Amino acid sequence: MSEVAGVAKIVAAYGLPHTPFFPSRVVQEGPQSPTGLMFGQARDSLVAAKPDVILIFDTDHYNTFFFDNFPILAIGIDEKFSGPIDEPRGGMPVYSVPSMPKLAEYLHNHTVRTGYDVASLREFGCDHSVMVPLHFVNPGMRVPVIPFFISGHVPPLPSARRCFALGREIRKALEAYPENLRIVIIGTGSFSLEVFGPRIDPGKTDGVPDPEWVHELCRYLEAGDTDALIAAAAEDRMHAAGNVGGELLNWIAMLAFTDNRKPDFLIKQMENGHAYAGWRWG
Amino acid sequence: MSVHAIHKICRQVLRDHDFRGRMQSDPAKAIVGYDLTQEERRALLAGDVVTLHHMGVNDFMMGYLARFGSCGLSVPIFNEKIRSVLH
Repeated sequence: MSEVAGVAKIVAAYGLPHTPFFPSRVVQEGPQSPTGLMFGQARDSLVAAKPDVILIFDTDHYNTFFFDNFPILAIGIDEKFSGPIDEPRGGMPVYSVPSMPKLAEYLHNHTVRTGYDVASLREFGCDHSVMVPLHFVNPGMRVPVIPFFISGHVPPLPSARRCFALGREIRKALEAYPENLRIVIIGTGSFSLEVFGPRIDPGKTDGVPDPEWVHELCRYLEAGDTDALIAAAAEDRMHAAGNVGGELLNWIAMLAFTDNRKPDFLIKQMENGHAYAGWRWG
Repeated sequence: MSVHAIHKICRQVLRDHDFRGRMQSDPAKAIVGYDLTQEERRALLAGDVVTLHHMGVNDFMMGYLARFGSCGLSVPIFNEKIRSVLH
């Protein structure tokens, strides 16, 4: 379908972290620092894919949404959005990011009509979890971005299988979209990470309670074995990997676009329990 | 629903610099008007994040109290207390 002229084409997918202090770290340590280089590799690949729009799967950290109104799935529909809205650390600008409301609305209609109860929001801001990866891989925020939110922190979580099926449904819709657009997909989040919970490391604000889980997930990613990854990603398993372990669901939705390809690059980062990965085919 | 009130206080510390200042200088006064039980109020003002954790308060949200020095908390103090839940 994606080869038909005049139809949108998905050209690449990335899995990225969103650690809030990474922008300030790269300001201090420079673009040749490990963090700068890892994001740099993803940015170079993404820029070479020449996207017209980016769709990012993300878990909001109680900023776009709050406990008074907490959707499991949601899509942002507007001309633009701003962020980070959670008091960025030094070195992180506040951006206004262009979006594509017509395409977002189309995705909202399609997902709801195919069985996914997706909330929609307008006039919204996003926190570091959307803005940090974009800061690094979308220079000048020149490419429009559509954020898609998946609840990944507070039980009950949507299942891994459902998030993958959701990704497949979004993919089907995008591949039928009658505009000649090049589309990049991002899923952002950690695999094993505890933030401000009992399993943080001494003296720190976070910790990696389950390094073996990071190794296991990276083995699946490396092998292109999405089925095994989904089968392993039970809700209790993700929570056991840290209080933000459910952010894996954003990667799983993104993996619906990669067709079990092996990644072009996969960099495991044990210090923070996450990874950087990229697949480019178009 | 008053765990929800504590979440709102934590969010207000992040978002409202004036409220943040009052939570640093006179938290007892700052939280007047929030719907808290006596025990929640005591635990919050004491920076007793272990009790708050067991009450069901979200750890990530409590992190703002440490990040912005409220209720006698700092990152090192918070770290030691919250880790004691398991250690």
